[in-house]
Parts: sequence; C-alpha cells; structure tokens
Amino acid sequence: MTGPRAPGRIVTGAELKAMSAQEVDFAIVGSGAGGGAAAAVLAAAGAKVAVVEEGGHYTKTDFNMQEAWAYPALYQEHGNRATEDLAIMILQGRNVGGGTTINWTSSFRTPPATLRLWAERHGIGDLDAATLEPHFAAVEARLDVGAGNPDDVNANNRKLLEGAGKLGWHPELIRRSVKGCARLGYCGMGCPLDAKRTSRTTFLADAIAAGADVYSDCRVKLVETDRGRARAVVAEVLDRAADRPRGRLIIHARKGVVLAGGAINTPALLLRSRAGTDSGVVGKRTFLHPTVPIVAFYDQPIEGFYGAPQSVSVHHFADRGARVGYFLETAPVHPMLGAIAVPGFGAAHRKLAERLPFVQATIALLIDGHHDDDGGRVDVTESGRIRLRYPLYAALREAAIDALGNMARLQLAAGAREVMTLHETPIVIRSEADIARIADAPFVANGHTLFSAHQMGGCAMGSDPRRSVVNSRGRHHQLENLWIVDGSVFPTSVGANPQVSIYAHARLFATEIARTATEITR
Amino acid sequence: MNADRRRFLKRGLLGGGVLLLAGTLPFAFRTTALGRRPRRDLRLLSLEEHAVLAAVAARIVPGDGAEASWPSAEAVDCAGKIDALLATVHPDVGGDFRRLLRMFESSFLGTFIAGSPRPFTRAAPAEQDARIEAWRRSRFTVLRSGYQALRRLTQAAYYSSPEVFARIGYAGPPVVPQVPA
Repeated sequence: MTGPRAPGRIVTGAELKAMSAQEVDFAIVGSGAGGGAAAAVLAAAGAKVAVVEEGGHYTKTDFNMQEAWAYPALYQEHGNRATEDLAIMILQGRNVGGGTTINWTSSFRTPPATLRLWAERHGIGDLDAATLEPHFAAVEARLDVGAGNPDDVNANNRKLLEGAGKLGWHPELIRRSVKGCARLGYCGMGCPLDAKRTSRTTFLADAIAAGADVYSDCRVKLVETDRGRARAVVAEVLDRAADRPRGRLIIHARKGVVLAGGAINTPALLLRSRAGTDSGVVGKRTFLHPTVPIVAFYDQPIEGFYGAPQSVSVHHFADRGARVGYFLETAPVHPMLGAIAVPGFGAAHRKLAERLPFVQATIALLIDGHHDDDGGRVDVTESGRIRLRYPLYAALREAAIDALGNMARLQLAAGAREVMTLHETPIVIRSEADIARIADAPFVANGHTLFSAHQMGGCAMGSDPRRSVVNSRGRHHQLENLWIVDGSVFPTSVGANPQVSIYAHARLFATEIARTATEITR
Repeated sequence: MNADRRRFLKRGLLGGGVLLLAGTLPFAFRTTALGRRPRRDLRLLSLEEHAVLAAVAARIVPGDGAEASWPSAEAVDCAGKIDALLATVHPDVGGDFRRLLRMFESSFLGTFIAGSPRPFTRAAPAEQDARIEAWRRSRFTVLRSGYQALRRLTQAAYYSSPEVFARIGYAGPPVVPQVPA
C-alpha cells in the first residue's frame, strides 16, 4: 500500500453530478459502527477508501432535540421501519454515523456466554474473548467509554436501580460512550453537544483524516460481481428533501467491498444484487432483541424526557436455562415515543398522555436466537421494498409474559402507585395478586406494543458455508473479496446492547483485511 | 384483477398480511365529505384521501371533550404532516396507505366490519369511533395493522408538535449549555 494520503471529506448528494464514478481500493457501504471502524483501519493502513451512506450528513448544530425533525431525518424509512405486520417498530439509524448517531450510548462487550454459544453451535471457536480483547479495549478508548457513573442516573433509571436492588436482582450501572455529557436526555435525536461519541465523531473522523471520502445521500442498490469477486457498488444519489433518486454513483473497488448497512439493509442488498446468496441463508435468522415495554405511574414527577436515557441495566434474567432470557433497561419518555407506545386513541389515550411526566418506563429485551427460535427473515419485493417478517414464537411470548410480571414486581418494589401493561386492553397492576392476570391476556401481533432498537443476524458467521454467509473474520464464503462488518454477522442476538460488539468485530475484521490486502490484490 | 390490486392482495397492507376482504373499492370516494381544504399543498394524497385521513385523525387526537383546551388535529395539521412524510418513503408504502384510506372510507367495508353503512367521513362521531375500534379489535391481522398505521402516524404527528407539549406537562427541550471549544 502507499504512504499517507491527504485528508478526505464528506461529499453530500447535492454536490454530486447526475452520473459520478470513482475508483478506490475499498468501497464500504454504510457509515455506522461497522463501517466507521472498518474505514478507520483500512484508511490508516494506506488504502484508498470510499464510504457510501444512504442517509444525510448532520452535525451537532442540526440536532434540535425535536422528535418531529429527528425521526424523519435520522432513522430508517423516516422513522417508519417496522415488521411487515407493523407489530414490531424498528428504530434504526440512517445518517452519516448510522445507529451510533441515535443510540442511547449503552456500551457492553459481547457477553462471554454468547461467544461460547457461537463457538459451540456455529463453529467459530477462533473468535473468542482473547481475540476480541484488544479490539474491545481500542473501541472503548476511542469512544471514551468510562466506568458506570452514578451521577448519570435520572429518576427514570433510579426506579429500575431501586426496584431491582430491593429484589436482589443485581442492577448494574451502564458504561456509556460519552465525554462531557450534559445529560440532556436527547441521545436518540442526535447529541447537540457532540458529547456522545459516535462513529461520525470518532472512527469515521479518523478515516477521513487518513484520506477516506464519505458520500452521503447515496443509497447502494447493487453490488456488482464477476467471477466470484465483488467489483463495484452502484448507488442512487438521492435528493434529500424528496428522498428520490436524482443521479447515480458508481464506486469501483480494486481490492474489495465491505458491507456495513446493518442487519436489515445488508442482506437486502445481497438479495437484490443476487450476489453471494448461494447458501440460501442470506436474510434468514434475523434477530431483534424484541423489546417489551411496561409503564409505571408514580405520585411524583419522573420526567423521563430528561437525563441520560439509559444508565442502569439488569441481567438477572439473561440466563433462564431452557427458556428465552431477557435483560431489563429503561427507555426515555419523550412525547411522541411515549404517546405511540401507549395503546388506544381518543379520550382514553389522551388521559394517558397527560400522565407522561409521571411515567417510568422499563423495557425487557428478549435474547432471541439462543434457543429454538429462528428469528425473522428479510427479503426484497419485486419493486425493491425491503420486507421484514418476524413471528412471535411461543418461546418468545413466554419470555415476554414472564418479563412483564417481573418488571411489574420491580416497579411496585420501587414504589409505583400502579403499573400498566401496553396490551390493547391494558392490565393495571396494583399488587402482586394482579400479576397473574398478565398470563391470561393474549400476546399477539399488534396486541401489545413491541419495538426493536437492536437489529442483528441475517448474514451469519459460521464455519459451514451451507449454513452461514461469512467466516469468523467477516469474509464471504463465496465472494472472496467481500466482507461484512455489521451486526448482520452475529449468529444470534448479542444479549446486550450491540454497539461495542459491532465496532470491535468490525475492527478485528478490518485489521485482517488490511493484513491480507496484498494477497487479495490481483 | 389489475396489477396494483394483485400486488396488494399478495403483499398486503403497508407490506403486510393477507387481505381477506374485497379489493380496490373503486366507488369508495364518490360520496366522501371533503371538509376543510388542506392547509398545505398535498404531495401524495388526493383531496378525498386527505379528507378521510383528516376525519380519522380528528377522532384519534385529542379525543372527545378536549376541544376547548387542546389543539385540534386540524390545528396541528396532522393529515398534512402525514402526507408530507409518506411522500418520502418507498412508493409502495404510499400506495398501500392510500388503499388503506379507501378501505376506511368505504361504506361497504364499514357495513361488513363495523355495521356502519355510511362513508367514514359522513358518519357521526360515535359511529366513527366504533369503526376505528372495530379495526383495532379485528381478528384479521391486516385490519389491526391498518389501525396501528393510522393511530401511530396520527399520534406521532400530534404529540411531536410543540403546540401540544404544554398539555402533557412537557416543557420542551432544555437550553443547550455553552461548552468552551
């Protein structure tokens, strides 16, 4: 590879001509945790890198803390992504920085139990904690992930801390990817201080300093392949306001293509390209940490609008043996997010909305894919629309009902006046005796609020090319110079908030790509 | 069966479910009450579709009994905001949403689903609420999905509007502290 390059830059769609073409060493699709980390490593190694991002480029002065702006601007499908039956709302980033721009900063390493499961069931024993250790450490250092800080705990999280503490459920302070955080509470809408360490402000910035270019507002439609090699990516240049194509960008990749569009877009891109899909498992086993919220009403204001959105977690129920496990955290209670989470319409809904300042919201994230549940499936319709189907398996419904009961116990222990499930006919819980009623309520699609902020799987790592898409270093089994470095490579859900897992795996994979770059050049 | 209808039957509402009921209802908008003119130029919906959406939104937010102290759905232009939003998502989603409004307005489907034999825009408020409730509680997934689409879009447009913040005890975003460079 060559010596140091002049710094690159972020090129917005508006700056591109109707037809543009570039030639680089590596084309990277997506600029979130995976794309950012990979770009930084490859650019530092001297490769010419282009990162292509579907979303727009926004900086701290754009982040106005208004949901009406943030969700359409910063999220996939303008905040409307969901499973095809709309039963699970999907919160997923779409901007320069991807999910890291809008995540709630929670920073966990991949749990050792999850790595062991992947080794045992998916044949990737060479991806162990010791191999990942230097990458976790480097990622945590770059993201300023410090020790959990009790000063981060707002009233919403304090109820989780107190309730779990009283019940002996071992609550923990969450490590956060922030520096100089003012605890405003708007991490999900972009940090107006840049106090949150995101891909854009860390690894992507490093990549640009080392010569990488980032193309925003460019939606990659196809990966072009030829004789088992990826040759180029073809993108639509989008008019940002209309979100409609106004041109075309082709990035020719001399050495390789790296996919990091996230666990829904990456399998969809391969399927749309009809490239690297021989295994028949691309887009299958998509995992969501299906997330079950419950609300508690307190006599005193909680004001879940403000303060660090997540600072406490409870992993006491992560291992339930033969049954699906889950972990507990909180969700911020902003007006729009809070209003659409609580069921109903008209006067009944309005009366709930009036009580939002007194609401504490606890969430259970179901650890899907670790048992017999096969997750969901991504495919692409004839017209190019991405479709996600996700059945609510009996094992997940059992876990959801168990979690609702335990969250209600926790909230009562923390002093809630009453707890309310988010069934279409909510169950109001004022004492332990009411909890049994949860099991009697139907838990069906669109019968209880569900969402996902963590998308994983669909292009799983594995040793068997018939049952997996990439190897334990992200390299595609059929396309020798195509790598996948996002959450789609995880063979199951992670069992913890995944951002650090994605960054660290991407950093490991990209280090391996850089090491073997001469071998793959021809 | 035309291509649009065939695709809708196969793929379902907003990409979802299997539509078990009748198809494109070509006459559904003939008797639509247009109500007030849109507050902005429409980007996706027709005047009739906008009128149905505005009528549904008026029942979803803020609800009966609140007219004096809460902004109306029309005052915060829920229907216009939803039109602008859906003009930017995948064209299939916009198309499905327009078909959903047609189904909601249809007196034929109203009779079938909720015993409500009038176009939605011409039904009395209580009858409109019963119709929404029937979709919400339906045993058909596609109708429950349709209800959720209308409910969530409307409530999202309404509760993300600063005019509504004070009504729910939200003081709005804090002042961003000045941080030395």
